[in-house]
Amino acid sequence: MGSTASLLPIANPSAAELALLERYVGLRADPRRERNFAAFARTGLPHRRVEAFKWSDFRAQAGKPEGWQKAEVAGDALKGLTHTVIGFEGGGVRQPSQLPKGLRIVPLDACQAFAGAEENPLGALAAALADRPALLGIEISELLEAPLHLVFSADAALSFQRVTVIVRAGASAEVLESYLGGAGFSAALIEYELEAGSRVTRVIFQAASGPAVQASTGQVTLNTGCRFAQTVLASGAKLARLETHLVHAGAGAEASLNAAYLVGGKNHLDLTSHVRHSVAGGTTKQLTRGAVSANGRAVFQGKFYVARHAVKTDARMAHNALVLSPEAAVFAKPELQIYADDVQCAHGNTVGELDALQVFYLRQRGISQPQAQAMLTRAFLLNALSDGIGEPVLAALEASLDDRLGAMFAEAPV
Amino acid sequence: MLTLNDLHATVGNPVDSDVKPILNGLSLNVPKGEVHAIMGPNGAGKSTLSYLLTGRDNYTATSGEALLDGIDLLAMEPEERAVQGLFLSFQYPVEIPGVPVMTFVRTAMNAQRKARGEAEISAPEFLKRARAVGAQLKINPDMLKRPVNVGFSGGEKKRLEIFQMLMLEPRAIILDETDSGLDIDALRVVAEGVNALRSPERSMLVITHYQRLLDYIRPDRVHVLAGGRIIASGGPELALRLEAEGYDRILAEAA
Repeated sequence: MGSTASLLPIANPSAAELALLERYVGLRADPRRERNFAAFARTGLPHRRVEAFKWSDFRAQAGKPEGWQKAEVAGDALKGLTHTVIGFEGGGVRQPSQLPKGLRIVPLDACQAFAGAEENPLGALAAALADRPALLGIEISELLEAPLHLVFSADAALSFQRVTVIVRAGASAEVLESYLGGAGFSAALIEYELEAGSRVTRVIFQAASGPAVQASTGQVTLNTGCRFAQTVLASGAKLARLETHLVHAGAGAEASLNAAYLVGGKNHLDLTSHVRHSVAGGTTKQLTRGAVSANGRAVFQGKFYVARHAVKTDARMAHNALVLSPEAAVFAKPELQIYADDVQCAHGNTVGELDALQVFYLRQRGISQPQAQAMLTRAFLLNALSDGIGEPVLAALEASLDDRLGAMFAEAPV
Repeated sequence: MLTLNDLHATVGNPVDSDVKPILNGLSLNVPKGEVHAIMGPNGAGKSTLSYLLTGRDNYTATSGEALLDGIDLLAMEPEERAVQGLFLSFQYPVEIPGVPVMTFVRTAMNAQRKARGEAEISAPEFLKRARAVGAQLKINPDMLKRPVNVGFSGGEKKRLEIFQMLMLEPRAIILDETDSGLDIDALRVVAEGVNALRSPERSMLVITHYQRLLDYIRPDRVHVLAGGRIIASGGPELALRLEAEGYDRILAEAA
């Protein structure tokens, strides 16, 4: 162990970090993999003294490797919406027997370089440790009629995946991603490269029923005239972080980032996003709405970076949260960094309670207090889901939300 | 029968220690089948009375009692009072973004039915009834699909209160300043809706500033509320007298 530890420029590596190193050493040597791992090793498991992780301490929450038991898999709200399912489940990867026209799945043999590695320790970790068969390239070259569904529920203590989605010029697709736990510690890296004029609707459903630590990093590049619409419904885990890095690399692209979260129990959910407008005329609309109850904790970190030449950028960010119990907490950090003139940028952030008068109005009509609270919370959250996704997917997310609200506001047995 | 006996009440959050006494020995009986009006100057405690009876937070009875057919209202949660058949038409109906009127009213009906041990209303039956009541109140069917009170005019909001009342068929009704914000045509429609609910089984309490509403909803009794208690009671002619003379004279007589 002494010799491998010297590869790690982490001061005082934790037992968890040594276990990750051991996993790395067990993989085939590859200079790109080495660079990815080195990028991770600069911070190690990110902890609260790393600014971007000050509210989500992976080093503390990942715990000891002995604790990385495989966890229970949560129910999937998006199940059954398409036949085109790639499942990172059990011990391997399940692929559809038949692929629709315009979709190609390419197993990757070699580790690929990851450009964002330096700023992104968890993405770098997934890039370093994902290996065959959980290392896939996906090429979308036409309009896909049915959604493509990626399911992450690996049945192992540790689980790493990397999927690179290339959407060819003019093609379009709806991609569903379900993160359901299953592993004690998991990290996935999903890269989307959208060529000019292509469109992607990305829907993320995150849930966990066991004590899972989950990280998913999305790295999205938009070229000229692309449209990218992302919608998230998440409920957290022991620790779950959904990170989205989006770059407007071509002019006139449109992005929307919508998210709704409902975090109860002792769950922790972190939604972090970084949107970079590198070129002119891009549009980003981001709306996140959430509710926390019991001992739930939610983190919203959103950053818009507008480079000097990115004139005529229109970027708007809103995060609104409801705190439903005294022990629940929301941490929010919206940020704008603007170096261009002639741009429209705004952000708004609110954290509050349910409106007492609204609750009273519903109760005066005979609706119980828990049901009134559930109805109002539902309406508040749905506002962030209703845009940009098709009816069957929206209905599936709504049904899942209703289940969770029902459980959260369950009336005490009489 | 709605029975209020020597009610004393305060409004305010005790934690902030800004509790104000607002009812000072109010007594009133509204027998089944009757409509009573409460009139009074600003700050007399009219809206306080409606919130106290329906159980809004921070409206606290310090002594006295409020009974609906002998049942102690003050001991119950707001939704339990509603299940008992107490309905408040709000002076300022509340906007509920994201909740369509139909969903809201159906949820309320079924919550009440469930609490009373009755079967839920079926979707077709509900729809049929909502259409009929909507037509009766000249409500645009689109309004029933929109979120509750969001973007509604003052008149539409009041009409929606009456819509809910007709759907829920309560046995004790408080109408708090139902005429405010209504033009004369809307007032007539709303009053017709209220009058349609007059029945030997029902008590109604109409709270208003002005006599005008009482031309459309004829009260059996009129009470003047001032300083947190009833200072005068009479027949419908009392309302006309208030309209002619203002409150000052009657306040002076009571003093």
